[in-house]
Amino acid sequence: MNFRELSRPTLALGVAAVVLSLVTLVGLPTPLQTLAAIGVLILLPGQALARLIPTTDAALGVLLVLGLGLATLTAVSTAMFYLTVWSWQACVVAMAVITVLACLARARQEVAS
Amino acid sequence: MTSTLKETIRPQARWKPRDVWCAVAGAVSLALAAWAASTVVLPVNSDVGLVGVLPFPFWAGVLILNVAFVMALRGDAAGPARSPVMVWLLVVLVLVLFGAAVFVTDVPRGEVAFRHLGIADALSRNVAIDPNIDAYFNWPGFFALLATVLGAAGLDPVTLALWAPVFNVGLWLVGVAVVTRCLTSDPRRRWLVLWLFCLGNWQDQDYLSPQAFGFFLYLVVVALALGPLAAKAPPFRGFRRADLAAWWRGRYPAEPRPGYRVAALAATLLLIVVISASHQLTPFMVLIALTALTLGGRLLPSRLPLIAGVVLMLWLVFPASTYLVGHPPLADAGLQTAIDANVVDRTNGTAGHVLVVQVRIALTLLLWTLAAIGTVRDWRRRRLDIRVLLLTVTPVFLFPAQSYGGEMLIRISLFALPFVALQASSVLLPTNIGYRPSSRAAGGLVLTCLVLAGMTVTGRFGNAQYDVFTDDEIAAITTLDRMAPPGSAIISAAHPTPWRNTDYLGHRYRTIEDLCPPDLSAATCGPVVYHYAKHNAAGSYLLLMSSAESSLVLQGQTTPGGFDDLEAWLDAQDGVELAYSNNNARVYRVEP
Repeated sequence: MNFRELSRPTLALGVAAVVLSLVTLVGLPTPLQTLAAIGVLILLPGQALARLIPTTDAALGVLLVLGLGLATLTAVSTAMFYLTVWSWQACVVAMAVITVLACLARARQEVAS
Repeated sequence: MTSTLKETIRPQARWKPRDVWCAVAGAVSLALAAWAASTVVLPVNSDVGLVGVLPFPFWAGVLILNVAFVMALRGDAAGPARSPVMVWLLVVLVLVLFGAAVFVTDVPRGEVAFRHLGIADALSRNVAIDPNIDAYFNWPGFFALLATVLGAAGLDPVTLALWAPVFNVGLWLVGVAVVTRCLTSDPRRRWLVLWLFCLGNWQDQDYLSPQAFGFFLYLVVVALALGPLAAKAPPFRGFRRADLAAWWRGRYPAEPRPGYRVAALAATLLLIVVISASHQLTPFMVLIALTALTLGGRLLPSRLPLIAGVVLMLWLVFPASTYLVGHPPLADAGLQTAIDANVVDRTNGTAGHVLVVQVRIALTLLLWTLAAIGTVRDWRRRRLDIRVLLLTVTPVFLFPAQSYGGEMLIRISLFALPFVALQASSVLLPTNIGYRPSSRAAGGLVLTCLVLAGMTVTGRFGNAQYDVFTDDEIAAITTLDRMAPPGSAIISAAHPTPWRNTDYLGHRYRTIEDLCPPDLSAATCGPVVYHYAKHNAAGSYLLLMSSAESSLVLQGQTTPGGFDDLEAWLDAQDGVELAYSNNNARVYRVEP
């Protein structure tokens, strides 16, 4: 895959997921920690996954970001509890990985199109 | 191309004085309502709840807000006011209606949000799911989400629970907005649906809960079903076998891009799995909605309901099997059982409390009547959308299947509300789509909205005498949490009690109303409670709060005098001593 062919939003999304996950794991003062955590746990994965659904309706896009972000985090957290490996740090890492994987899938779409 | 309908009329791009005035009016109404609510003194001493103690400026704020909305909605010949103005007015409405209690107190209303925080806390401490604990641990999805968000975000759990209604209704409105875009092209109707959705939302299901989360995901599923997964069907020719077969085979996807449909289907499946893992009732609502749309020829692939049913059954048979062994799904099915649990048992209590219940019923009936008239009107004009009708009616089919602790009607009215609001809006706006309402019609709309707002505040906050807690009561529970050793029993007078948010598994929690129904007299109930408390090896604590006493009195289970007699009887027993007291709460220690 040629990285020059990637769109900037895809690249920015993947990089933001990595950076924000590290920042969230290191820890920030409370209001910033809240924003970073919500970003890396819900909004960034939601946005990355919603971009795999080629909707032209902006309102549906916003709904999918929220819906898919929350649903994915729920699925990951629940699975970790059933496997008795849960920690919020593990969830942060898992959601960052999901975001990056979704960005890679999107990048393949962009390269192919 | 999606099935989302394009706006027929585009609002003008320039700001107009009317838009600015409407936005300012929204700010004024918010300031008035918030200030007025903040002056309410706790505890609430009115049988009709918050509506009995909210001062006049609150209602002035509600009046100004509704007038501003109708002015903005009426707009001019080009359409309603600009979208930012409409969104701002909706934000104000959500804060006024669903955040009113936040301006009154900084303690979340009701018991259940506290309990849900406790479950998330228990999960994160144990890092395992034990389905034997209770039903919540058989559908742990939402609590797993909550535990992760609270752990990572560093949020104060109680503050999150306090603001959850505003946050949840905001999420729901995004969902309803997208669903409505798929069903009508009239911008005025779209905005009015959102307004009516708020004004008819007395059900109080928006607190920090799996059902609020499940309802949001349900709306996302419906949006996908009406959007990328939508199907178009040929004209219906009759019920003869050949006609039905031809009609069924003639369906085709409304969305021509297969990749889009496959991606939307994958998203829908993820949502169905998460809904099944998070809440008992919502997956059934999803299942019947998808089934109805499929049978109506409006959803493809037609196997989606089957897949949803399999996912639901798998969850019931495996992760939730522990709960289902003792609670068969159809154990309390039947129309009479459902009516008794949902209607008869809820219309008891003091005159004020019964009035609140009647207002809730009247509000629901009013909206459903408007929706029925709107449906007939649309049908006569040959513009009735069968999808709206299906999504309105299908939740009702669950009514006889489960009494759901007497809450089935509440849930049905909530799941139908977006579509009821859509049909009701058909009556409240001009017959011709896109036409501006006349001054007279606008006046009628203001009046209707005011009536609905008054009824919603009455219905929603009608239990404020016992579900809005004072600082004294919270202080008593905090003290009790510190003094009660692990394994001790904590006995409160009644639900709701704001407990179990920090040590969900650490104590045995009971209420007097659960231990000795239906007779709560000192002679009958006193020995039962004392015996239970005395025989707990780690000791017991009796927690008697003003709000819990009000709960029992308002719902007709005891009288103020009867409750005082019970407390005096318990206080006089061996090994019972007053351990803590303030103006609104007493804690008694019972030695084993």
